Amino acid sequence: MFNNRLARKVFGSTFLLTMLVPAFATAAEAASTEPFDWRVSVTKAASAGAAMSISAMSAGYAQAKIGTAAAGTLAERPEVSVWAITLQVLPEVIVLLGFVSAIIIAG
Amino acid sequence: MSPEAAKVRTRPASGKEYGYANARLRGMRSRLFNRAFFDNLIAAPDIKTLIQDLTATEYGPDLEDALIHGRDAATIEAALKNHMIRTYQKVFSFLNDEGLYLVQTLLGRWDIFNIKTILRGKHIDAATDEIVEGLLPAGQLTAVELEALAGGEDIKTVIDTAVTWGLPFAGALREGYAEYLETESLADLELALDRYYSTWATQRLKKRQANSRLALSIVRMQVDTLNLLTVLRAAKESLETEVADRYFLEGGRDFSKSLYEELAAMSDIDEILDKLRETPYGKILDAVAIEYLSQNSISVFERSLEDYLMRHALGLAKGDPLGVGVAIAYLWAKQNEMTNLRIIVRGKAVGMPVERVRGELILV
Repeated sequence: MFNNRLARKVFGSTFLLTMLVPAFATAAEAASTEPFDWRVSVTKAASAGAAMSISAMSAGYAQAKIGTAAAGTLAERPEVSVWAITLQVLPEVIVLLGFVSAIIIAG
Repeated sequence: MSPEAAKVRTRPASGKEYGYANARLRGMRSRLFNRAFFDNLIAAPDIKTLIQDLTATEYGPDLEDALIHGRDAATIEAALKNHMIRTYQKVFSFLNDEGLYLVQTLLGRWDIFNIKTILRGKHIDAATDEIVEGLLPAGQLTAVELEALAGGEDIKTVIDTAVTWGLPFAGALREGYAEYLETESLADLELALDRYYSTWATQRLKKRQANSRLALSIVRMQVDTLNLLTVLRAAKESLETEVADRYFLEGGRDFSKSLYEELAAMSDIDEILDKLRETPYGKILDAVAIEYLSQNSISVFERSLEDYLMRHALGLAKGDPLGVGVAIAYLWAKQNEMTNLRIIVRGKAVGMPVERVRGELILV
């Protein structure tokens, strides 16, 4: 499925970051004993930004691939347009998940 | 090929992006005729009904254009041929750079097939029209170029024209012609062309990428098929081993030179088939051995090997969905569809029994 090297890198890094970044953020918060630590805020903001942007890029990559294939299919079989649109919007879920993660992290 | 043959293409994808092309090819594949439709065509009472059935399909526009010239089998065949060429051109227009390079390398065999048809026609002094009927411009030589070649007076004129145009296989033809003049046998000319094609295609597909390897597997199987048929023909016609050895083609997949020489030394077809059981071709050839005995014709083996090659090519579509296999499988499937339709049309025109027509088709 992941023959493309770029696809492997994007999906691999997304998976790792979505798992690791919130973990680091939580750890940084737990480690802090001060009432206000600027490092916690910066880490939280960076993590939320990473979760949002990487998920958006991944969704964009997936949509580009699906869009190309959908354009090819529709050129020959216009009757499957509903299916093509449905598949085209599915990766939006990835952005939504990133968005929710970002909200939770930024808390 | 010739500079005139170079086509200006505008295509949306470049490089190695197969997403668009493969999705489009899958859409086109869904319109290929299925077994039930072929059964329907075979059962058509006459050629008129067959034309009606075909007009309702995507062959319609080509048939309507051709039917102005008449409603006979030759006209329908011309329409089928036009449709296939148009479809191939359409695929070339949206295929990416890598896919186009690989597919055109494989379709180079059509140029060889066409040149062989012209040479055979000239050898037996056939009329130009008859030769042109047997051509299929699916390679890089256009219909106009092939017609110009077929219009040559004799074999020498055809070869001279090829040399003047700077066609890549002209050198091979010149070498083969020297031997042809001595032996008066077309096999030498054909051997030179086959050698040229296998070397040329292997060279072009030598890269290590999966897609190149896939395309190369087809070329290597074609070489195996040619070697196998040479061995079987040599045994049937009791050719001397030295003569048979001359016709060996390098670059096969499962057919080494040592195996070829071993088989060429055998005089009995049964013995050859026994030995071939060690190779993937054994089972296929065994399956038609009885049919060979009843018909006593090597064409039985030729057909079963063609069938095997076709099924292998069609199976490539089940591999990598973002690879060149989908394009190769589609082009082969389209060619098979057209061949099946030509058989049905010919069969209908000469009143061939339905079961016989069905037996001649390769239905996948």
